[in-house]
Order: sequence, then C-alpha cells, then structure tokens
Amino acid sequence: MNVYAKFRTMMDNHIILSFKGEITSEIITMVLQIMETRLEAEEAKSSVKKKVFNILVECMQNLYHHSEPEKLGELKTRKAMLEMYISDGYYNIITGNYIKNKEVEKLQTRLDKVNSLSKDELRQFYREILDNNQISSKGGANLGMIDMARKSGEKLDYHFTKIDDNISFFDFRVKILSKKKVAEKSA
Amino acid sequence: MDNFFIEGSKQTPEISFNAELGELEIKGRSIPENTFDFFNPVLLWLEEYAKSPAKKTIVKVNLEYFNTSSSKYILEILKRVKNVMNDGHDVLVEWYYEEDDEEMMETGEDYEDVSGLPFSLISVEED
Repeated sequence: MNVYAKFRTMMDNHIILSFKGEITSEIITMVLQIMETRLEAEEAKSSVKKKVFNILVECMQNLYHHSEPEKLGELKTRKAMLEMYISDGYYNIITGNYIKNKEVEKLQTRLDKVNSLSKDELRQFYREILDNNQISSKGGANLGMIDMARKSGEKLDYHFTKIDDNISFFDFRVKILSKKKVAEKSA
Repeated sequence: MDNFFIEGSKQTPEISFNAELGELEIKGRSIPENTFDFFNPVLLWLEEYAKSPAKKTIVKVNLEYFNTSSSKYILEILKRVKNVMNDGHDVLVEWYYEEDDEEMMETGEDYEDVSGLPFSLISVEED
C-alpha cells in the first residue's frame, strides 16, 4: 500500500490514535497528555470527555500490567496495540495484547459476567468488589472491567485467539457515545 | 504531629492533611500505574493520626479523575477515618463533583454506602 492510500484509510476511518509497541509508563503519560488536549478541542461535553479519558486510562493500565511477551521469557516481545477512532457517533477504543492461556478463562468469566448485568446490578457488583479487600500483586483492583462497562453504558466486546500452547491474543473493544449522537437522538 | 503534604502532578493528586485542624484534603487526579508506592505513606500517616485525632475530622475528596487501582486506596483512607469515628470522634466526608459529572456523584454514593461514613455530596461548577 502506498503512503497516500494508507493515510486515506486512516483519515476515512477517523483514527484518532494508533499505537503498537511496549506500553511503558512514559508512553501512557504522553498518550494521555495528547488525548486530553485532543478531547478538550473536539468534545464540548465534559462528561463525555471524562468517560473517554477514564476508559483510556484503564485500557492503557491493563496493557501496562497484563501484557505478556509473545515468546515466553522474551520481555522485548512484550508488545501491545491500542487504537482509538470515531465511528457512527461513538468513540471506539480497541486494545490487543498477549495473555497466558491459563489466564483466559478467568478473564472471560469476568467479562461475561459484567456483560450480563444491568446498570443497577453493575453498580451493586462494583460495590461488592470495592469492599472486598483484595489488591492483586499487579496492583489491580479487579474493578477495571466493571468500571469501563459502567462508564461506557455498552457491552464490552472481546475475542481470544489462541496462538500456541502458552499464549493467546486478547482483543478488546469498548465504545462511548459522543455528544454528536446524543444531539441527533434528541432531535 | 506533623502535617502531611504532597504536591499534585499530572498523575497524582495533591494531598494536604492538617492534623491540628482535622482537615484532610485530596484533590486533582489520581491515575498512577503504581498506586501502592503513592498511597502507602498516606495510609501510614493516617494510622498515626487516628491515635490522637482532632475533635472533628473532615475529609475533602475533590477528584476530577481516578483510576480503579486508586479506588481501593481511597476506600482504605476512608476505612482509617472510620476507625476515628468508631473511637467516638466526629467525622464527615465532603465529596465534591463537577455539576454535570453524574458518575463522580454516583461514585460518591457508592463510597458512602461501602464506607458507612457520613457523607455530604457537594456539586461544584466547572472551571
């Protein structure tokens, strides 16, 4: 693909941010700074801006804490991807990272549970998990998926691709209604 | 006892605890990747404070954003303040949120429910 065609695709898909590589603390800080400025300029509604920013923080910190190397023990292959684009009045955030096969079931169970709950049930579940004292060795509070589902108000979309006996690829999508769509709906 | 102050940054909140006045304020944003490193000294200070607290303790939570790994520590802070209340002292949590930030208001209600502390939810105008 020539550069113009590639550029056009990115423009036509309304890609705001596209990243592939290792998610470090410096990258997180930098991306958040850029996205905050960007959201400030594009999104007049502060509640939407906050939701998008919050969900972006959770997504990046999930990648930071939970990405596994593609090849066992080779830390330099600890790559992940993050993309954000606008489509049909929604901000879409997608992430992709490797995860150990033995972690898949637990994560899938949590995602399915979160997706099965109503707004009020999610709130109750959030309170339950907040109140049980555990903080994981990776600093996780086990609240990330619940919090993202509450803020987005939409189902969390995910898929696992098994790579080999040790590793799977986890892709995750979350979307947030932007003000433009809200305005259309009420019109 | 000494007061406790940490300046705010892009990732971490300003923490300003005044032992004599019993005013404990957290404001700004709390989105660090490594929350333990940031919050552990805060919790240690509160454990000391709980031994000889002011007559009335007011906790002001005025956060624009916080990540889920900070949320456990915010509850830990409130639990230490709960001990102060259980020892027979007056305690109030003032939970601030920007007027159109429904989530932050609801989160305040969640913390009120989970912590069992008296809360006052205060809506402020945006900057």
